Amino acid sequence: MATASQTNTPLVEMIDIEKHFGGVRAVNGVSLDLFPGEVVGVLGHNGAGKSCLMRILSGAMIPNEGRIKVGGEDKTIHTPHDARDCGIETIYQSLALADHLDAPANLFLGRELKTRFGNLDEKRMMEEAAKVLHRLNPNFKNLSDPVSSLSGGQRQVIAIARAIYFNVKILIMDEPTAALGPSETAMVGELIRHLSSEGIGILLVSHDMHDVFELCDRIMVMNKGHMVGAHPIDEVSKDDVLSLIIKGGLPDGWTPRNKQLN
Amino acid sequence: MAHIEKAQVGALRFNISAGTFHKFSALLTLVILVVVFSFGNAAFLSVNNGLTILLQTSVIGLLGIGMTMVIITGGIDLSVGSVLALSGTVTGMMVKSGLPVVPAMLLGVLTGAACGLFNGFVITKMRITPFVATLGMMLIARGFALQLTGAAPISRLGDAFGVLGNGALFRIVEQGNNGFPRVVFPGIPYPAILLVVVAVIAAYLLNRRQIGRHIYAVGSNEEAARLAGVEVHRTKLIAYSLSGALAGLSGIVLMSRLITAQPNEGVMYELDAIAAAVIGGASLMGGVGSISGTMIGGFIIGVLRNGLNMGGVSSFIQQIVIGFVVIGAVYIDQIRNRR
Ligand SMILES: Nc1ncnc2c1ncn2[C@@H]1O[C@H](COP(=O)(O)OP(=O)(O)OP(=O)(O)O)[C@@H](O)[C@H]1O
Ligand SMILES: [Mg+2]
Repeated sequence: MATASQTNTPLVEMIDIEKHFGGVRAVNGVSLDLFPGEVVGVLGHNGAGKSCLMRILSGAMIPNEGRIKVGGEDKTIHTPHDARDCGIETIYQSLALADHLDAPANLFLGRELKTRFGNLDEKRMMEEAAKVLHRLNPNFKNLSDPVSSLSGGQRQVIAIARAIYFNVKILIMDEPTAALGPSETAMVGELIRHLSSEGIGILLVSHDMHDVFELCDRIMVMNKGHMVGAHPIDEVSKDDVLSLIIKGGLPDGWTPRNKQLN
Repeated sequence: MAHIEKAQVGALRFNISAGTFHKFSALLTLVILVVVFSFGNAAFLSVNNGLTILLQTSVIGLLGIGMTMVIITGGIDLSVGSVLALSGTVTGMMVKSGLPVVPAMLLGVLTGAACGLFNGFVITKMRITPFVATLGMMLIARGFALQLTGAAPISRLGDAFGVLGNGALFRIVEQGNNGFPRVVFPGIPYPAILLVVVAVIAAYLLNRRQIGRHIYAVGSNEEAARLAGVEVHRTKLIAYSLSGALAGLSGIVLMSRLITAQPNEGVMYELDAIAAAVIGGASLMGGVGSISGTMIGGFIIGVLRNGLNMGGVSSFIQQIVIGFVVIGAVYIDQIRNRR
């Protein structure tokens, strides 16, 4: 974990982002920033607009309004490809795997390794996939099975592996532990700590208060498309966060937790 | 490393129980058909008849290869029969107007590719479903073929035009005692050679190149492919263009065999091509299919037609039989998948 003000340039800034679908305002003038080595929890109840905001940063969705800066420079992120060029990798809530392909094919989808003659380098993709998958889960077998035959947890591991294998600077994790058992969840926690210690910025969407307080340096709470609160984690209690999520505001008479009583 | 080794052995076993199983059962069906027909008629199992089947299957095989790529992307191409006719007529008209045969044929293939590219545009940019888009092209291409020719066949296109469809490699002809030439070995028909070459290239593209990987990915989960940075539109454009180009190629082969450009040719051929792909294990849901499977499927249809013909079974009954074979093949596949 790192403190928020390690450096002055944020890795990424999203400024006044708007996204609507017909009458539905999914994201309503939201701004967000993320610094190197920082883990920011993005919270909110179902349908608050968290995934939309994340998908906009991944290039999966184009916002109606707003700007995105990466490393202080304005960037146009209109395709997943654009986002990857900025070092933004995403683990989608829906995992987004091609069911009929095996793990290595999914891991390298869109960025296939090739031989000198431009053929697919299946052997090297298999070896590299085995390395990164075994780092995440030493028991990962079935490397050549179509991923449709794998368990939810194994699929999640592939989605995570795909995001960290390449040169990631900004990692978006949309409920990465939703399909995982306790030991895999712990492994993802370890991974988040490890990646942030290497200076990678992480946006973690989660409903799990325990994970949030364990892993995040800062939280941002969304409610009905609005950003209703951004606080360093040591400023707020679980009850404060729940109040933000449910009511869209802090409890009456709130003072920062770390400044209470003295 | 040990892990990889083990994983690969596991994979081998798994694959045999999946796609290969279907191919194996299709191949077994093919062998059984050949054996049954051979008992029924001794002439069935002759070199000559074998070559005839090869020749007859080449057109539906070529169409089936393009169809397979499109089906793997999760689409369908109903226009191939009409595009075949249009490409063949365009080629015939060009030859008639004095263009040499080879450039005229290239132009025919290009016509097919252009029709396919148009299909791809309608599907990706206008977001029309493949079924409707290619149904439209089926009418458009047929209409063009009929309009351009006034619905009349163009005949007497010259010997050079007939070489591709009627020629053969390694044909051995002897001068008989009576002065007439005697065919010792009829040779391997050019259309059959063309089929093998195209099939090998298509299988290479699908299995060894990035475009093939992306074709499978798009059919398997289009959204996932998009999010992974696959250019979904480009992938589909390529698949439909290839299907169109192969329809053009088969049109030329067919018209060359008849030495006549027939604007009425190829009606319902798209259904044979789809049947070949489906019998060979391709799934209309996308993400599944193979060239080898489609080749086996094409030959099952070809052998059935040929064998039933020799047995004097009417073409109506043949249709009924092939219809049941299609349903049976998909049913067997589903039972296997349900386990
Ligand atoms: N493609 C879309 N078309 C129309 N409406 C959409 C689309 N995507 C999201 N929405 C709407 O936008 C709103 C925000 O959705 P979003 O998926 O961002 O919520 P979320 O905060 O991620 O919720 P959850 O915790 O359930 O994942 C919802 O009302 C949803 O119905
Ligand atoms: Mg969500």
